[in-house]
Amino acid sequence: MDELLDRAPCGFLSMTEDGTITLVNQTLVELLDYKRENLVGEHINLILTSPSCLFVQLYLLPLIALEGHVEELYITLKTKNGGEIPILINASKKNVIENNNIKCILIPIRQRNKYENELLIAKKDAEAALKAKHDAIEELRVTLETLESQTEELLRLNEQNQQFKIETKRELELARKIQQTSLTSPIQNKDIEMETFYKASKDLSGDIYGIYQLDSTRFGIILLDVMGHGISSALITMSLHALFHRLIREDGLTVEKVMKGLDNHLHELFQNNEEARHYCTAIFLLVDTDKQQIDYINAGHPSALWQDANGTQFELHSTTPPLGLFKNVRFESQTLLYKNSGRLLLYTDGVDPLGTEYLHPFLMENASLSLPAFKKKMLQTLSNCQIDNSKSDDQCFIIIDIK
Amino acid sequence: MYVIGITLWYNLLKNKINKYYIDAKIKGDDSMLDFIKKNNVKMSGEGEQAIIFAAGFGCDQTMWRYVAPQFEKEYRVILFDYVGAGKSDYSAYQSEKYKTLEGYAQDVVEMCKELRLKEVIYVGHSVGATIGMLASLQEPALFKQLIMLGPSPCYINDLPSYKGGFEREDLDGLFEMMELNYIGWANYLSKVVMKNLERPELAAELEGSFCSTDPLCAKEFARATFLSDYRHVLQQVTVSTCILQCKDDSIAPKEVGIYMNEHIKESAIFFMEATGHCPHVSQPEETTQLIFSCLANI
Repeated sequence: MDELLDRAPCGFLSMTEDGTITLVNQTLVELLDYKRENLVGEHINLILTSPSCLFVQLYLLPLIALEGHVEELYITLKTKNGGEIPILINASKKNVIENNNIKCILIPIRQRNKYENELLIAKKDAEAALKAKHDAIEELRVTLETLESQTEELLRLNEQNQQFKIETKRELELARKIQQTSLTSPIQNKDIEMETFYKASKDLSGDIYGIYQLDSTRFGIILLDVMGHGISSALITMSLHALFHRLIREDGLTVEKVMKGLDNHLHELFQNNEEARHYCTAIFLLVDTDKQQIDYINAGHPSALWQDANGTQFELHSTTPPLGLFKNVRFESQTLLYKNSGRLLLYTDGVDPLGTEYLHPFLMENASLSLPAFKKKMLQTLSNCQIDNSKSDDQCFIIIDIK
Repeated sequence: MYVIGITLWYNLLKNKINKYYIDAKIKGDDSMLDFIKKNNVKMSGEGEQAIIFAAGFGCDQTMWRYVAPQFEKEYRVILFDYVGAGKSDYSAYQSEKYKTLEGYAQDVVEMCKELRLKEVIYVGHSVGATIGMLASLQEPALFKQLIMLGPSPCYINDLPSYKGGFEREDLDGLFEMMELNYIGWANYLSKVVMKNLERPELAAELEGSFCSTDPLCAKEFARATFLSDYRHVLQQVTVSTCILQCKDDSIAPKEVGIYMNEHIKESAIFFMEATGHCPHVSQPEETTQLIFSCLANI
């Protein structure tokens, strides 16, 4: 072999088409740690790792057979001691000088191999990252789809809700009319004259009142305020209404009997259902214009106000707890005797923003006003007052002039 | 060699082989051309009896270029590429389908059916032989004879009873080596694979390359090939089989060929003078002659 080739700075070998080594240079011999005579005549598999044997059989030899040459194939050599040397191989059976053998140049690429391994790792990482990204996008897409279908569902539910709202509104409007219909009309005659005001904070009210002429000189007036407001309270007012409607017109009516009857009714109603328990404040007046006497019981209700023609005021304040709150309460009626004509004001705590301390002078100052004018002024004052008061309650008041 | 396409139609017409294709052409039914494009099917030859040549792992139909033309005078020669290799339609590649060799076998069956072939002679090299064997299990009636060149039903040792030739680590090393050898041209190929229709010159470049295989397809094909174990199906093979065993084949050693011959019912084995794993490339004359002997033997 040419001295230059023998000592060239790269491995060189020649082999037959079936892989038998015919020639190796000194560089390669030293690289592999063999003796030259141990290599010549051997199959190339001797100096290849197992994967490289496969690779040479699968790619290198067929490629050379078909194309006459290969370039830059990466394989791994196996030294005599079993060490591995990554190399790039160029092989050719062209430029035939002596025979048809395959001439190979082998360049160790230890450094480059490390670099390529790094590249391969980086490539795999990038591929994994790309896959993760695609997975994430897919997940997002699914989420988006879910979200869209949920939005659609929400829109559908909202529409259903709107429909429900419209129907409920219609129902409540009807219920409000029914509740209003149950209210008795004010009485106007030579002895007594009255104005009423009734307004629910929502559609239905927790307030209810009843006005009854019992005979030519006796009148029963009742005003109740069930705790809370809205549908539940309104249902109870209707139940109480039915009862006092009957009680007040019974023979042998007394103020105590009416209040006791209402109290019992509430206890019975909720005896097995504490959760639903409601109580109510109430004031019931039995006015006798002949005797010039008012018998009354105020059960936890805001004080009613009486003012006679001289401007003397009297407060019909609460003497018993609200109805339905404590059992075995004894109801005892109070009596107010009056000498001459006067004005009586009953109200629920929805009117309370005005306050009793306000209503005292208000009643005094406007004593000269006719009943309708007095009501109008009171409503004006109330609506002015209401502006600052966001927390609205059911409102009801009754003004009675006794002549 | 006639190239499938317009020329084929006239060739078929001339040979009065199948009116079906002529109908398809008249109707302009492109779907019938799909499988031809998919597997880059090529037909040539003057004979009536069809003979299919299937490549082994890592290459395409050009591997048969010294052998296949020898059969054109007496046979109808059919060559094809596996999806993911050669000039097949890379867009038809599905990892799920081709993760096992059955996927490739299914394509062979479909190809035979589309071409209205029956009782074909199938010559398969290496894993191509296994694919043909699996296809014959799917549709035995399609095959008249299997000729296996350097076949192996299992490459991994299952000692002491079976010596496939390799340990799992060797094969992992091969997969790694394949990846490292693909670094340089992976980028180039993936451009082609990505159906770059606006750059037709890429397809032209690919035509100029030899044994081109998409790296992803090659990686999965390698795993499907070398990690497979089809020893249990050998006894189910009913088609007459002829095994051509090379000398010093490190990929499919002599013991493996003998094992196959023993387990396939109707089988014969011929020991070749040729060495290595690719006798059809290194010793095309002997290979051709032995295939003819197998054909005469049936």
